[in-house]
Amino acid sequence: MITHMKIIHQAKSSAQNVLAAVIAAVLIGGLASALYADELQAAARVTTNSVNQNSVARDNAKAASHYKLSGAELYSIHCNRCHAERYPTERTAAQWKTIMLHMQVRANIPGNQARLILQYLQENSGR
Amino acid sequence: MKKNMNKSRLMFGLAATGCALGVTLPSSVRAAVSDEDFNALKALVQQMNGKLQSLQQTNQLDQQVIQQLQQKLNETQQTAIDAEQKSAAAVQAQAQPMPRMPLDEATVNRNFQILGDAEFQYVNADHQNGSFLLADFAPIFLYRGGDNILFEAGFDTTLQNTAPTGAGAMTSFDLSFAQLDYVMNDYLTLCAGDLLLPLGTYSERGAGWLNKFPDDPLAVDALIPGSGIGAELRGAMPLGDAGKLLNYAVYGVNGPSSADGTGNAGALDLGGNVGLRSDGVVANLHSNPSGGGRLAVFLPFKPRYDLELGVSGMFGDWDNAGNHLWTAGVVDASLHLGPNFEAKGEYILTRFGSDDLGLIQQQGWFVQAGYKLAGLNLELPGVNNLEVVGRYDSLRDGMGNTTDRCTLGYIYYITSALLFEGDYEFIHSTDPTQPATQLILQLSYGF
Repeated sequence: MITHMKIIHQAKSSAQNVLAAVIAAVLIGGLASALYADELQAAARVTTNSVNQNSVARDNAKAASHYKLSGAELYSIHCNRCHAERYPTERTAAQWKTIMLHMQVRANIPGNQARLILQYLQENSGR
Repeated sequence: MKKNMNKSRLMFGLAATGCALGVTLPSSVRAAVSDEDFNALKALVQQMNGKLQSLQQTNQLDQQVIQQLQQKLNETQQTAIDAEQKSAAAVQAQAQPMPRMPLDEATVNRNFQILGDAEFQYVNADHQNGSFLLADFAPIFLYRGGDNILFEAGFDTTLQNTAPTGAGAMTSFDLSFAQLDYVMNDYLTLCAGDLLLPLGTYSERGAGWLNKFPDDPLAVDALIPGSGIGAELRGAMPLGDAGKLLNYAVYGVNGPSSADGTGNAGALDLGGNVGLRSDGVVANLHSNPSGGGRLAVFLPFKPRYDLELGVSGMFGDWDNAGNHLWTAGVVDASLHLGPNFEAKGEYILTRFGSDDLGLIQQQGWFVQAGYKLAGLNLELPGVNNLEVVGRYDSLRDGMGNTTDRCTLGYIYYITSALLFEGDYEFIHSTDPTQPATQLILQLSYGF
């Protein structure tokens, strides 16, 4: 009976912990989503000359969702996930090829994005 | 010059005319010219003759000057032509790309590379004497065997006293991970060996200079294994063209084991079970290996603004008899708002059965944030290199011990990869061996 009570107590505690984690994730996600919405609206304000601002904002949102990222942008996006960006001139083209293979695996970067980043790094490499 | 030449021609003409008149005039006319007039005319002719000679000399000098000027003009024109040719060559050279790494070297099939980090610390804990220490020297060896094959291995080297059991010092040399990666396609990589386990993200992204604190979160160290021997499939799938990703990993490893073979709670060994026993027998310490995986979404809004959310888990037998299951679940999140702000955290929950204490539930979590003061745009010396950091972490070991820790500190970026960190920790623990406060200074370098 005591064991049964203990298991129920542990289950309740686990449920509370999972609930707390979900709430924290939702809060962080909500904050980031709000920030994203602000970014799009700001972009719309900057480029809007039309009286129909809503349609322009929608167009900008649509364009942003289909925006092709360059190697330099992908480099900033992925490096910053774990550490400060290193200068492309710090390594040679051959060294960057090895390091990018390491980072592709470690940071879970799709191959096509890794190739764009590698191209950017090699074009701006030390030699 | 032309004027002088006209004058000389005039004088020469007058003299010639006078001579001609003297020869051609009849004697009656000559007789009519008096001696006085003749002498005057003679003097005039002589005077004009002198002037003529002077003018001739002047003319010669002028000719010399003209020749010199002509020569200088030719030289100037040649210089101008040379400069124009050089300028055209320079423009042409600039238009061409700079010669870079030879193609065969840039695309060479094999390459060896060393990355890693090194840390040196000064630690002063409550009720203990402060001390310097070599916290870590952790090289990572990378060997690329082609476009899609990589072997990587990381080591941790530390110096530590033999005291209190003996004199002197010893060096520990641990293999952190050693794995062979085969990139099967753009979205899937097969890894095999001693793998860093994707339970959360800390074990894969918390090494040395990557971590904003000199020590690991309590729960990460105590509750989950950092690595495991086995095989893994991992990768990422783009979600649209804006950089959003779905990350995934699934693996099978030997898993945790029992330090003494029993199922007693204190014998749980998260880092053992590497497949080779001390008696030379190759065998798992229990019959069933562990399995696990991670699923996450990475949502970049623009460069340096992103959110990553992940869930991961692992389960498997841990005692030799295979009577007890060990399970772990981790929720991780990280947020970047520009180049100057980062926040991340993990919640870890583990459970395992035991012979002596029954079902044990452990949990812990950490949240940490850092802000680089460069974002304030203050024109003060040194401030732009400074980042303020804070962390709160907690551990419940399920066997009566609880520890909470608050850490406040800074990072001074001497360069982007050379960091001088300082942290002060406030620790509240039921474990009497834990200090109440602790100061850690660390010099960290990533290479």
